[in-house]
Amino acid sequence: MKNVMIVATNTFREAVRDRVLYNLVFFALLMMAAAILVGQISIDIEKSVIISLGLTAISVIGLFIAIFIGVGLVSKEMDKRTLYALLAKPLPRWKFLLGKYFGLLMTLTVNTAAMALGLYAALWVVKHPLVRADGFVLVAVYLILLKLGLIVALAMLFSCFTTPFLAILFTAGIYVSGVYAGDLRVMRVVQMDPGMLKLLRIVSYALPNFENFNVMGAVAHDRGVPGILVGNATLYAIVYGAIVLAIAAVVFSRRNLK
Amino acid sequence: MKSRALQGIALGVLIVLGMAEVWNLQRKIDAEKQSLQLESEELMLRSGSMVTRMSLEYAPLMAAIYWTRAVQYFGEKHHLQDQDLQLLWPLLDITTTLDPNLLPAYRTGSSFLSDAPPRGAGEPDLAVKLLERGIKANPEQWRLYQDLGNVYYFDKKDYLKASQAFQQGSELPGALIWMKAMAARIAAEGESLETSYFLWKQVYDGAKEPELKKNAGSHLRMLQVELDFRAINHLADEYEKQTGHRASKMSELVQAGLISGVPVDPDGYPYVLGEGGKAELNLDSPLLEEQVMQKK
Repeated sequence: MKNVMIVATNTFREAVRDRVLYNLVFFALLMMAAAILVGQISIDIEKSVIISLGLTAISVIGLFIAIFIGVGLVSKEMDKRTLYALLAKPLPRWKFLLGKYFGLLMTLTVNTAAMALGLYAALWVVKHPLVRADGFVLVAVYLILLKLGLIVALAMLFSCFTTPFLAILFTAGIYVSGVYAGDLRVMRVVQMDPGMLKLLRIVSYALPNFENFNVMGAVAHDRGVPGILVGNATLYAIVYGAIVLAIAAVVFSRRNLK
Repeated sequence: MKSRALQGIALGVLIVLGMAEVWNLQRKIDAEKQSLQLESEELMLRSGSMVTRMSLEYAPLMAAIYWTRAVQYFGEKHHLQDQDLQLLWPLLDITTTLDPNLLPAYRTGSSFLSDAPPRGAGEPDLAVKLLERGIKANPEQWRLYQDLGNVYYFDKKDYLKASQAFQQGSELPGALIWMKAMAARIAAEGESLETSYFLWKQVYDGAKEPELKKNAGSHLRMLQVELDFRAINHLADEYEKQTGHRASKMSELVQAGLISGVPVDPDGYPYVLGEGGKAELNLDSPLLEEQVMQKK
């Protein structure tokens, strides 16, 4: 586990050195502009707009980082040939992969936490003082982080067997399909073959359902999110993430790096 | 070679067991999310549903943008005195499909739709449709029943349905006590100036949305004028009985001791007696324009 943590810490440091966290400046500017403008253009939904905008920004910025950096985690090491020096040491490939994963997750956690603070600051400016219901925003942020964790795992899996460009396309494709996974299950199409309907149903469960992590609508209206939902979504992310990382580890360990 | 085969078997077992657990968790999450009322069960037939699908996970933000657009559209049309409000319903439809819990869109939106032109779009049926959708998505919000009752009462003149709406709303937790009283009063009396004034006063006092408050305030001022007219005309009738002729100036009622001073409208302009000795607004009163528009 120590090896995994060393790789993770170095991945985090590298991300900071690569100025990944500079996106926070963009987020801060967006939130400041929103806090100033929202009172002038919204009618009694200032708080809802700030929360929706803030969570959307956290999610979109996180998505970009998760996909682009996630795909580059392994391929960059191969391109720069630093991977060979690392793997020459007593470090199994799966541990290297896991370390990279946790390193990016650490970066995303710091990034998301900083953005959540910015969101609370904007909320305070628009509707101070903050009330207890504003705490639900943290639940939404946590679920976004779970979603990002799953996306990083998928990005790493694809980057293990294909080019970075294709890995980005595959991850983005899975993300978009995953948003509609629930719709596949309830799709009412006239004259569809029962076999096809069954297949759609299976696909809908096999795809990562990213809607599981979306409670933006509820928290924007001060509605609480049941603890059981948060618990199950957490388990879902862990189980699905573990499957994806296990496949990635097997693919990566069998890959010919010569 | 043997270890590779073992690795493959282990991975296969992990995938099968893992996906079974994923399936199990997904079913649980689906059930929990239904109780959160976050998803619409509508078919992808209407544009609102399509916009919801296209906005990925960001429907609440899109709803806020569409709601802002709807308000700007209405405000701009109002400012230009353009009564063609064709886009109002589609905008409200999309907004509430994107975010079924956005209460201001139902409350203020139904007021935009139901009010007769030039104040609104003169579409009370669409206002009822919007509010019924709002009630379905937010069954605990008694204020939506209040708005529904108001549309039936003021715009559709359907007092039975208005009374039923107030009654249903009064049964919800948190509903104010007057909802029940209003249900009984409308069922018994139908429309009256006092009831109308009371209903608009409730809208005015409870409105957080500036547009809704402004509209209710405008209705209240005109209803106050109607109530004042009725009281003044009653006194003028009394004066006619006492003197045998109709008063032509307000000062005559003052001199006869029927009123202590010349009464003023909500904007502070003194009322006048017009042709036939009936109470009228002062020609300088800004309310005159509003009264003319309302009569149109």
